[in-house]
Amino acid sequence: MEKRRTLNNVVVISAGIVGLLFLLWWLWADPTRDLAVSLPGADNRGGGGASGEEVKIGSLFQAFSGTHAALTETWPRFRGADFDNISKSPVSLKDQFGSEGPQVLWSVELGEGHSGAAIYKGLVYLLDYDEAERADYLRCFSLLDGKELWRRGYQVSIKRNHGMSRTIPAVTDEYILTIGPRCHVMCVDRATGDFRWGIDVEKEYQSEVPLWYTGQCPLIDGNLAVIATGGNALMIGVDLATGQKVWETPNPNGWKMSHSSVIPYTFGGRKMYVYCAVGGIVGIAADGPDAGKVLWESAAWNRSVIAPSPVCMPDGKIFLTAGYGAGSMMIQLKAAGDTFAVEVLKEYAPRDGLACEQQTPLYWQGHLFGILPKDGGTMRNQLVCYHPSDVTRVVWSSGPNKRFGLGPFFMADNKIFLLNDDGTLYILRPSVKGYEELDHAQVVPDGQDAWAPLAIADGYLVLRDAKTMVCINLRK
Amino acid sequence: MDNDKVKSRREFLQSGVRLSLALALGGIGGLAVSRLTGDDYVWQIDPFKCTQCGRCATECVMSPSAVKCIHAYDLCGYCDLCGGYFKPGYNALSTAGENQLCPTAAIERKFIEEPYFEYVINEELCIGCAKCVKGCTSFGNGSLHLQIVHSLCVNCNECSIARVCPSEAISRVKASQAYRIKGGFTQESAG
Repeated sequence: MEKRRTLNNVVVISAGIVGLLFLLWWLWADPTRDLAVSLPGADNRGGGGASGEEVKIGSLFQAFSGTHAALTETWPRFRGADFDNISKSPVSLKDQFGSEGPQVLWSVELGEGHSGAAIYKGLVYLLDYDEAERADYLRCFSLLDGKELWRRGYQVSIKRNHGMSRTIPAVTDEYILTIGPRCHVMCVDRATGDFRWGIDVEKEYQSEVPLWYTGQCPLIDGNLAVIATGGNALMIGVDLATGQKVWETPNPNGWKMSHSSVIPYTFGGRKMYVYCAVGGIVGIAADGPDAGKVLWESAAWNRSVIAPSPVCMPDGKIFLTAGYGAGSMMIQLKAAGDTFAVEVLKEYAPRDGLACEQQTPLYWQGHLFGILPKDGGTMRNQLVCYHPSDVTRVVWSSGPNKRFGLGPFFMADNKIFLLNDDGTLYILRPSVKGYEELDHAQVVPDGQDAWAPLAIADGYLVLRDAKTMVCINLRK
Repeated sequence: MDNDKVKSRREFLQSGVRLSLALALGGIGGLAVSRLTGDDYVWQIDPFKCTQCGRCATECVMSPSAVKCIHAYDLCGYCDLCGGYFKPGYNALSTAGENQLCPTAAIERKFIEEPYFEYVINEELCIGCAKCVKGCTSFGNGSLHLQIVHSLCVNCNECSIARVCPSEAISRVKASQAYRIKGGFTQESAG
């Protein structure tokens, strides 16, 4: 009996010790000990910020022999004269290229990039980076023969990063305004190329150069240059003649410069500049005693990368879209006296409705036209048409056999001209009923990344892929 | 004379062993030669057909999957904002876990020089889920892509991933050309 009791004690104590050891092991063991915590800084990235490079804006100039034929029409800036990407020219354009194919008047090799051309009365203006000279140049070409007449620029270090230059100059009869890859604003005399003034936005406003360099196309509005700077100011208005700042919009929220461009818009009796910053969307008074003041703003549209510009419609609806999974948003601007309010009507993922990664949608006959991004679901990369009342219900799409990459497109002579990534130009009949293709042809041999917006004047279309600019005669 | 021609039992056994050894060595040699010159078939993914559905991670008989992400460095843009590395709606372009798209942190991001970053796949951590491939294909050059790694694949008679692959991107390829790496494969296809 005693022996049995001792045995029981031994068993109980042993079990207790084993249990205790197990408890200690359980408390001690860390099943996550092999996991490493992902913390910021593991990539050992550099400090970023301003490079410290001293850039003498406008210090370089070269003139070349040659003349140009003076023509009458213009495509003076990003999205054309009326910011709608629709040419109002009466020139009749080809419906089809015919058996001889497109009539390519000339082609010019460029630095790798996606900067588009502006056209002004027989002259083509393009911002281009020269890797050999390590210089950013505003280049002036003759529209009819592609001969370069002059170039004005400045030395600046740029490395290839999915291209270099990607903005379109703004041109008036007197001035040309450019923004370079690293936010260098340059104003020159249109006729002579003489340097007027420049602003190093990154340095002066402590702005952050957007990923893949500047994509914002500069705006000239009357006598004012309008630039969304980010950094210490959200937007600035600069006197074109003198380069003096007329107004600076404070930036208390620290919103950053995006690839989107400033779009003038009149609504509720006020003219304003609408801009999608990285941080939110804003409407800034464009005239009156409060010019430069924020009329309304909303952080509801806050996306990390925004390339398309806002599409402002007559009834106060503003369509906003961006790539990299950002999707889209439709907002309603409401005016009550001097105050404005913003209501979000719809917000959705790119696969659920109209969305665009790079090109700004086109508004025509009360409908929106765009090319869906690669993450746009089954209709990815298709040309699509939506009604603004419901941007999640497609009116029509170009179909699975007609996909266009990130292609730029615009409208002229009641036709849509659309450039595929590979340099194939499509002529379409615009319609709110369905996709109708008239013709297509390869216009840039072995074209790659043909993403730059198109420009047309006097029936001559100027387009480019990553490295080659061509001019096509579309006149009937 | 006749006695000379009669082999002893020992000699007979020695000859037999020599012959057996020679046959065995010859057989092994022949087998080796056939292995070297023969062309078996293995399973592989066509990266241009792959739709990044995610089934490679869940349907493979191996755990984790024998399918891994491969990086074609010559196609990569070395972007700061890499669609294969960062989640859409990331907080910051940093290596913090909440910004990363990869569920197992299998992509190592290294700063090279402004504005370039290098992305390296840690094969041991990769589960072949294709989230990064989808991001890279949608927003980048498509340099990240999936491949079946043959040191891990058991080459099933019927690949369990191929059975459910919605884009029929998996097929048998010659073992001598066991990989379809983007870049080289692109050139080969073009040629």
